[in-house]
Amino acid sequence: MKQKIKNKGKSFVEWLKYGDKEIGHLYKGGLASTRREFRGVKDTMVDYVNWLKIWGVMMAFTSKAPYKIARGFFTYRWMPSYLGVPAFVDRNSMGLRGNMLKICHENFRRVVEAGTVYIANMMIADTRFGDGDEELSKKIVLFDEMTMSQIMGGFPNLIGIPYQLMPVFLVSEIDQLICIPYIDAIESFGLPSDTCPVPTSEAGAAVLDAYPLMGSCFIASTMPCDGSVMASSYQERRFKIPTYPLCFPVRYHDEDVLFSGVEDIKGCIKFIEEHTGEKWSWDAYFENMKRYNEELDLEMERWAINKTNYPQIFGSTSALYREFAYQIDGGLDPRTLKTYKKVNAIMEDGYEKRLPITRHHRYRAIVWSCPSHYYANFPSWLSACWGITVLADMEMLNYDKPLNVEDEDEAFKDLARVYSRMVMRKHTNGGYENVLPELWKVVEEYNADIVIMYQHVACKTMVGLQGLFDEQARERGIHLIWVPHDLMDPRTVSRKEMRQSVNRYMEAVMGATPVDPSLVDFDDERTW
Amino acid sequence: MKDLKHMIYFEKLLENTNNELIEQARSEGKLALGYTCFSMIEVLLNIDKCFSVRLRAPNTGSMDIATYYMSNYTCEFCRAILERCFEGGMNFMDAFCAVDACAMMNRCAENIELLDLVPNEKFFVTHADIPYKVEDFTVRHYAVQMRKRVLNELRDVYGVDTSDEALRDALNRHNELCAIMTEIGDLRKLDNPPITGYEFHVLNLITYCCPQYLIIDKLRETLEEIKNRKPDPKPWYKARVVVVGSEIDDLDLIRLIEETGAFVVADRFCFGSIPGREVIEIDEESDEDLLTQICRHYLEVSECPRFMSSEKVEQRRITVDRLAREYNADGVIYEQIKFCDFWGFERALASHIQAEEYGHPVLSIDRPYSAKSSGQLRTRMQAFVESLEIKKIQKAKEARK
Repeated sequence: MKQKIKNKGKSFVEWLKYGDKEIGHLYKGGLASTRREFRGVKDTMVDYVNWLKIWGVMMAFTSKAPYKIARGFFTYRWMPSYLGVPAFVDRNSMGLRGNMLKICHENFRRVVEAGTVYIANMMIADTRFGDGDEELSKKIVLFDEMTMSQIMGGFPNLIGIPYQLMPVFLVSEIDQLICIPYIDAIESFGLPSDTCPVPTSEAGAAVLDAYPLMGSCFIASTMPCDGSVMASSYQERRFKIPTYPLCFPVRYHDEDVLFSGVEDIKGCIKFIEEHTGEKWSWDAYFENMKRYNEELDLEMERWAINKTNYPQIFGSTSALYREFAYQIDGGLDPRTLKTYKKVNAIMEDGYEKRLPITRHHRYRAIVWSCPSHYYANFPSWLSACWGITVLADMEMLNYDKPLNVEDEDEAFKDLARVYSRMVMRKHTNGGYENVLPELWKVVEEYNADIVIMYQHVACKTMVGLQGLFDEQARERGIHLIWVPHDLMDPRTVSRKEMRQSVNRYMEAVMGATPVDPSLVDFDDERTW
Repeated sequence: MKDLKHMIYFEKLLENTNNELIEQARSEGKLALGYTCFSMIEVLLNIDKCFSVRLRAPNTGSMDIATYYMSNYTCEFCRAILERCFEGGMNFMDAFCAVDACAMMNRCAENIELLDLVPNEKFFVTHADIPYKVEDFTVRHYAVQMRKRVLNELRDVYGVDTSDEALRDALNRHNELCAIMTEIGDLRKLDNPPITGYEFHVLNLITYCCPQYLIIDKLRETLEEIKNRKPDPKPWYKARVVVVGSEIDDLDLIRLIEETGAFVVADRFCFGSIPGREVIEIDEESDEDLLTQICRHYLEVSECPRFMSSEKVEQRRITVDRLAREYNADGVIYEQIKFCDFWGFERALASHIQAEEYGHPVLSIDRPYSAKSSGQLRTRMQAFVESLEIKKIQKAKEARK
């Protein structure tokens, strides 16, 4: 009896310290945001304070133009979906404790902060209602969301906005159902249903008039894939502003055609100058790229730590921040560097103390191919349910060389190199060398036990290599778990089906038992 | 109309990828260079001792092995080519000159390369990078790629003469063939033409898929025959259509369209003659070298939807409208092979634009690689032809009023 009481007392103390062992009950039924995970007293406080900070960022954003932003909520269907941001951060921090929890919040808060600035500028400049801020609108250069931001480093007085980022791309990670109306609209128009949901949704959003109207010009791009090339003609037709097609070599490792990328960058800069009246500033560009290089150094530190036996960052927390810093921010905002420094300090502390990355870490994993947007937090589930820690993601392992900040000719070349290697171009351009032998190299570098191989069913570049991946993994004895998805359309493959792919492999092939059995099977088809 | 003298022979040649003329050319020491895309410059593949073979996979049945390697979500043309390689049907190739113009064909080429599917000792696959717009620097880009990835590879691996003289010779031969095909093709503009769309398609495919030097005599003869051919007193067709879209190498598809009463007056699709069979004009006074001028021509005339700059997008729409007017077409058929991203997007938008802004009746279809057994396709074609007929009757009635 005494022992029983003692045990109960002990487990109560442990509960207070470490929180819930099983969290599946949070994801059963309606919206997950109505209940919060208990992570132990200390970490719950950390989580709660950061949760409030996220709301703080969002409230601060609405105060910039309360009327226009409120109007946007009733005009654009994607705007209310951003109320799901705190729930999105919750999903990405499921099961996290200690340092990793802090890192997760730091990274996501910076991304949310940047996103709110984009939305605020879009709402203030929106000319749809006749009261858009025309001065601001003239200063805005719209970019295809798949285009990098570094060029804007040379135009300090202009504002670059990745046009489809907020109405389509980012929101699809927050609300899994948001792209469905876009997809349905464009398919009703006649587009085949087998195309990638990214360009499909972008074109659908144009047809549904989901983009606020603004900007002096638009930079379209061929990036990353054939579908994106084609979506441009739909968007250009809708946007009705001067458009520059930025087109980089497909075989970008071939330095013999680097000049083509350089000439295109020069053409793009000239186009922006012509349509905004602003002049390109090398001083401003170099200053911004110095910051970009500093961020890159810190990113390399992260990669180095993760290759050791004591990794300190994992999953979407790591990948999404890298993609944000690399492509969307591009060294332009000092706050991104600040967050890098803060997070790296936490990581270094954890590494020095040899802290385990999570309390239930069992397997080291790499995720390869394009991840699902509607299940951006899939790595968090992998960790919480099976103890699979995703140490690197294909999309974050892009250009790792610093950009030249001294010589103008060399700087142009580096710009062409980095633009050619934007996020998602690794698996869509440049040949199989980028993804097939590269995967085995990364597996070795990170000493990975498992490869989570996303099978984006509509990505015709990656599925074109599926047989070779399968064969070569077998030859090497690598555990390669295929996880099908349809990027932005959860109707094709649901989150539950994605989880089942892993569950089946872990049970049947690995003979493993889940670290949290309550997360093996649950319904979340109607949640954010 | 009386049957064309060589038609059955030509049809027979198209029954297999590796036909008797390819075998004959190889036995004469020529090099067979496979390719699949307009962007791989055909002229270059006929230089010196080389001859071009635009790859197709007639009589494709199961594509199970290719589907394992490339999934069932990829273009059937790409999978059919890969499957045919697994079957050994492409073993005649000395090189596969691929372009990185569409992702799926690129992956097809990579599978052929990595799985070592063509057992010829010196066989190689080359991947050329194709620009997305036409500017001076992209022309240079294209020329650099063609020189490095095609001509230099051929020179280094097979000792092919890639000099300007050899290139000019290849160009002259190409232009001679194109002049014949253009003359034949122009006859389709007549109200009661001495050639059908199907016959033209066969002749055109022959020029793409056989060693050109072995068929040029028969083509010349066929041109004379068609010029002197007596058409039936009344035109055989119910409506005239322009076919626009992705690759058609399937004789049965054009046959199916014409069986429903539509005369295919213009072939604006991959493997068609517009563009592809126009004479390449060279400016002897230009500062640009011969290769660059040829590259510029290909970029400028290309109607591939992957060219994304506004002027090229506009060019494609204007071309379709121009063809419809020039060839006096009653309607336009936009077709797309299933899973083709470029033509999937282009078809959906351009078909609306042609109908709503240019006023052409449009049929928009997607189709499998082998179309002959598609009852659904036949029904849609029939319905379209009937609608065009009704429009013509109504127009005639209004004119009488």
